[in-house]
Amino acid sequence: MAEKNKSQAAHAHDDQHTQEHFREKHLMLDPLPRGQMNDMVMEAMTSKPTWKYWLTVIILGSIVLYGLGYSWYRLIVEGLGIAGVNRPSYWGIFLVNTVFWIGISHAGTFISAILRVFKAEFRRPFTRIAELMTTFGLVQAGFSIFMHMGRAWLSYWLMPYPNERLLWPNFHSPLSWDLLAITTYLLSSTMYLFLPLIPDLAMARDKSTGWRKTFYRILAIGFRGTEGEWTHLRHAMNIFAYAIIPVMFSVHTIVSWDFAAATRPGWNSTIYGPYFIIGALHSGMGAAAVVLAVVRGTMKNMTYFIRGEHFDAIGKLMLIISMGWAYFYFNDYIVQWYGGDKWTKALLHFHEAGPLGWMWLSMLIVNIAIPWAVLWNSKWRSNPWIISIVGILINVGMWFERYLIVPVSLSINRMPFTWRLYIPAVEVYLSLGTLALFILFYVIASKLIPFIPVWEVQEGQLAHKLSKFGRETVVTVSELE
Amino acid sequence: MSKNFSRRDFLKLAGVGATTTAILTGCGPASRYVKREPYMQMPEYTYNGQSTYYATTCRECAAGCGLVVRTMQGRAIKTEGNANHPLNLGKTCARGQATLHGLYNPNRVRGPIKHTRGERLYAFDEDPFNGDFPDVAANLSWDDATQVIADALTKYKPNEIAFLMGAAPDHLFDFVTDFTSATGLNAPIRFGALSMFEARATLSKAAENLFGETGLPFFDIGGAEIVLSFGANFLETWLSPLPYTRGFTGLREGKTKQRGYFVQFESRMSQTGGKADEWIPIRPGTEALVALALGRLAFERRGGALPRAFADVNPKEAAEKAGVEFETLERLAVLFADKAGALAIPGGAALGQSNGLEVAEAVLALNAIPDNFGKRGGVYLSALAPTETEYHRPASPKEMEEFTAKLASGEIKALFVHGVNPLFELPKALNFKAALDKVEQVISFATFPDETAVEADYIFPDHHGLESWGYQRVFTGSAQAILSGAQPVVSPFYDTRATVDLLLAAAQLVGGKFAGAVPFKDEVEFIQSKTAPLKNEANGFFSAVDLPTFNASFQQYGGWWKTESAFGAPNTEDVLNRDFDGAEPEFNGEGEFYLVPFVSPTLAEAGANKPWLQELADPTTTVMWSTWVEINPETAEELHIDNEDVVKIISEFGAVEAAVYKYPAIRPDTIAMPFGQGHTAYGRYAEGRGANPADLFSAEYNQAGDILFGGLKVKIEKTGKKLAIPRLESMMGVYGEGLGEE
Amino acid sequence: MATVTDLNISEVKLSEEYVGKWGMFINQDVCTGCQACVAACSMENNIAFVGPEDAGYGRTMNWIRIERFWDGEYPEIKMTSRQPMMCQQCGHAPCEPVCPAFATVHSQAQQLNLQVYNRCVGTRYCANNCPYQVRSFNWRDYKRPEPLPNQFNPDVTVRQRGVMEKCTFCIQRIHQAEDKARSEGREVADGEFTTACAQVCPADAITFGRVDNPESLVSQLTKQYEGLKHLPELGTLSNVSYFKGG
Repeated sequence: MAEKNKSQAAHAHDDQHTQEHFREKHLMLDPLPRGQMNDMVMEAMTSKPTWKYWLTVIILGSIVLYGLGYSWYRLIVEGLGIAGVNRPSYWGIFLVNTVFWIGISHAGTFISAILRVFKAEFRRPFTRIAELMTTFGLVQAGFSIFMHMGRAWLSYWLMPYPNERLLWPNFHSPLSWDLLAITTYLLSSTMYLFLPLIPDLAMARDKSTGWRKTFYRILAIGFRGTEGEWTHLRHAMNIFAYAIIPVMFSVHTIVSWDFAAATRPGWNSTIYGPYFIIGALHSGMGAAAVVLAVVRGTMKNMTYFIRGEHFDAIGKLMLIISMGWAYFYFNDYIVQWYGGDKWTKALLHFHEAGPLGWMWLSMLIVNIAIPWAVLWNSKWRSNPWIISIVGILINVGMWFERYLIVPVSLSINRMPFTWRLYIPAVEVYLSLGTLALFILFYVIASKLIPFIPVWEVQEGQLAHKLSKFGRETVVTVSELE
Repeated sequence: MSKNFSRRDFLKLAGVGATTTAILTGCGPASRYVKREPYMQMPEYTYNGQSTYYATTCRECAAGCGLVVRTMQGRAIKTEGNANHPLNLGKTCARGQATLHGLYNPNRVRGPIKHTRGERLYAFDEDPFNGDFPDVAANLSWDDATQVIADALTKYKPNEIAFLMGAAPDHLFDFVTDFTSATGLNAPIRFGALSMFEARATLSKAAENLFGETGLPFFDIGGAEIVLSFGANFLETWLSPLPYTRGFTGLREGKTKQRGYFVQFESRMSQTGGKADEWIPIRPGTEALVALALGRLAFERRGGALPRAFADVNPKEAAEKAGVEFETLERLAVLFADKAGALAIPGGAALGQSNGLEVAEAVLALNAIPDNFGKRGGVYLSALAPTETEYHRPASPKEMEEFTAKLASGEIKALFVHGVNPLFELPKALNFKAALDKVEQVISFATFPDETAVEADYIFPDHHGLESWGYQRVFTGSAQAILSGAQPVVSPFYDTRATVDLLLAAAQLVGGKFAGAVPFKDEVEFIQSKTAPLKNEANGFFSAVDLPTFNASFQQYGGWWKTESAFGAPNTEDVLNRDFDGAEPEFNGEGEFYLVPFVSPTLAEAGANKPWLQELADPTTTVMWSTWVEINPETAEELHIDNEDVVKIISEFGAVEAAVYKYPAIRPDTIAMPFGQGHTAYGRYAEGRGANPADLFSAEYNQAGDILFGGLKVKIEKTGKKLAIPRLESMMGVYGEGLGEE
Repeated sequence: MATVTDLNISEVKLSEEYVGKWGMFINQDVCTGCQACVAACSMENNIAFVGPEDAGYGRTMNWIRIERFWDGEYPEIKMTSRQPMMCQQCGHAPCEPVCPAFATVHSQAQQLNLQVYNRCVGTRYCANNCPYQVRSFNWRDYKRPEPLPNQFNPDVTVRQRGVMEKCTFCIQRIHQAEDKARSEGREVADGEFTTACAQVCPADAITFGRVDNPESLVSQLTKQYEGLKHLPELGTLSNVSYFKGG
């Protein structure tokens, strides 16, 4: 399959200019010598950390220690009373964060697997960064679930492990499905992260000394780059890329069933599965854009690998996903509203006009209005600043969306005598802790893992070339795999 | 351990271990308490894993309900109503349930204490739910305590010694009565805040005026078909709430008749009013007028000559003054006139007005229309308890004022206080604190470190009700004459002593006429001397061949009662042959709001130290753990006051602060406050919580001697502060607050 | 009519055909809202008190609550019939399938929803899914300072923080009565025992007994008053019937 990418300013008389333009714009048409490119990636990873780096580590580390360490300790020792959960909002920000982080983790797989399967060439430099997002995000989601539990120290009871009392988890419970789905997703996405990493680890092994050499030697599991190894690797990656897509869809569908399978007004909606998936992609894409922009802005040599064209491509995806999200949201909303159930109506009214009505309104603005207004323009899309601000806003909006679904919807039930607002307490620190840990993982990983799948970039560059058809200069891609 | 450790050594070591254990368990300070006993040495009546049940009497209020307490290995586990007991037939109220939180309250007086007035009796800080707040340790022995009392008895002249006791007509009251009458001491005075808020003096005075004999009326709600209640809160704390609640069930679902109709006239919807089919918010002060108007209209409906009582009233004018539709009065009068079982009940704040006596009389007189006196569904005179010859009511607030004046004048030099907490229960206006300061020696027998104990020189704690012997006369609520028996269901948890025993010991120590006045070995002997005559009385529900059997049965059944009804039929000749002027009462104060103080149905006067009572949702507002002031939402809006705004309520005699509860069922010109909180001592769960509306009362009385708690007009001022009042209900779900505008 | 042994919960018929075992009838017309049931339940079942802050924040632990609403505007205002709400012991309980740890299960013998405290890990899914909102969660280890624990009922577990709890229909009393009846070789008689709330209720608003026995008082009253279930449209097959009254 070949993708054609036409330039709108191609003229026969300034070939030279056109070619410059293409090179500047497209990474795939701007090849550098392999060794130099490898060195650039290695330099980005192994350069001596600056004081800014350490400061970031210290700040994030302290937030993690306070938020995830101390606050979680208090939560376990003193009980959930120090959080804001109550009757009827038995689930609070913990579950908001779980859904949120699982959502974030979706973009990694989406970018990496779906774009790989569909051979979207722009994906090449940032699949790794996205895949890391999956793993790191899932870790936060897992933490959030365990924080949420009243007796977290007994959480292993949810695992189907052999025991003398022959007790199994209850497989009727959506939470059991959830646990299985998340575990499967975490394992498969970690493996899927690891496979394309092997050639880069081998490259890093060959180019480093000291502890790094040992570190990469172990991780590279003896990859030499022989034809046989490449064939096997491609084969495995292909299988995983196809296999992980249904896993990804299933995970968030199953997460949505935690809500959809319940008898609560507002939750009991059949469209929640696809609605949650599109929501996950919405926040995930936004997060991917933000991470890319930060990586490009803070790490060495990244302006070469990550260019406007990538933000442009992600921006298009964001726009389409935003439209999809809007479609599903209103689909869900209108059917629930039309159903006319008195409790559901009360809930929808509460969403819009209740004390958190501002949240509902801003969710719609940042999830729909802002992307639609901004992302039409390719110039704005290509700007890392603009796209990452939109990405952050979308993430805030999606977090709001989950907040409206979990504690706000829980405030309203079929027993009006118990309706009550949820006021978060220690959850705030724990949430900040997960956020800081997520960033900290990236900060640390940036010094340990080659962020750019350099072999994929090189492969892409080999496959791309500029050709002339008549007066038209076009990009052609040859099939390599 | 060396491998040469022989079997012999092992036995030696084991022997030492066993001896040590035996000494520790045997000689512990609380070895009397059964729980510390090793399993193998349990008393014969205690089986491991099996409960033992003891019948006794509830001491949470003066009504005298029978309890059966489940105990296990020396601990009281659960109170249930005594199903045999004719007063409560196996039921209890919430306070009866929570009596165990009194027994095992973390703040009890643990032994005899010599104490400087005003000093704390337990440690305390703002958060009673964390930390340990130990009580002040006992610093006297009981021998010292006996000596102190003996000294007081000898040091002061008989007329310088006074006893102030709780409202319950119990064995201690009898003992002290006997003791004082034989020795020339001042006769004991009984008082309780509940009897003050019931205006019991007014009620019994009205009955006396109408029927010509003393006694407390009983209203047979269960047999009635229509009940008009003028503020009587008979489902809450009024007189004897359990029989009245049972009566209410009878009213609603009588097996042989239609569902009874219930109308409540009051300016603030009480828990009782909330159950009414019609709730009519008449203007405070017009209760007598409305009753008379209803009487006239009902009489006109029935035909015949209008009696003197209803002749002067103009129903239309009355309706206008009361703020009721005249048609409503007409309709109710028709109902009242036509139904066979019609009943009118006076009560509540209306009796605590300057015309309270007339209100009570006018409402009682309404019962002459169906002529239900002494009939099913009508008005009876309460049965006198066994061993009682005439109705003896607790002191009215007016009598308490006289008593206070005696204290203040220095006439009384030694005061013994038992079963009542006058510093909390008496309105501040009576200035009991200042009077107490004039008393040379104040001895409190308080079980709990209450406000009065804090101001006492000595605290010689009596047992908790569940740890003590006794009996109590049931003063109303049952057709049968009941003497409710009490026995300890657990061994005393602390180093407390029965007050009767202590007084006996002191009398022995003094000797002379004191020892001769009460020639008993101990409390139990005294009680049995009082109950012994019942053995020979006819119609007892159990019979005994000899006294020990009688005493055992008395203990086992939880008292003694007759099998036949002892209700008195009032003499009703002159009921309607009197004049009522129907004049409106004087209200004290310049404020724009009528104040309706009501007793918290869950806490009552002494429940505030029991944490589960504090956490029970108030039946009307669902508020927990605090005091609130009820204001009509429209009034609140006019004054720009919102829920949980703290307002200052000012009468001419005092001011209190409380957070606002916008209460939809109160007259716009009325505000209401619960009584029960506002303690400055009384244990960690009570202290520093809420406010006491009795601080607003004036020391003025109606003709029967009841304080004018219902006759106040108050001002409210905003303070700008906010105070969360915990409520069980959802403000969103119940009031639509915070749900957003439509 | 289904008997205890042949009633398999997975085969329970929907709606009218379902017959539970133990059930309640609540006559709201006579309920005065006096809270005696709440106090009795708390004493019987070792329920913790939580203090004003938590109580005001919807964290009360009581297994039974009395709801009241308002009807109309002043002066034509009425309190609605007081509505005691406790676990309805549904035949098809929404709380049961959602617990991942099997901590809330259906008892075959008693036809009750059991809460297995020591199996509970505190996901609180059951409470979310309970349409009656009658489950209480131990948000903290609520303190009951010495000597208050002397009052604890030894037949009932004291719950740790992080554990869900709810009305059990005083299952300890059911067991005791059944054991006694079995040892005497007979069936449990109607009215032989009752729950703490029904026992204390001064207005006799709560009646407890066998709903599968048409002769029992609870069945008779349910029939006489045409008792209604809460939220029947959810198909929970509740075992508590209500008569709202006037």
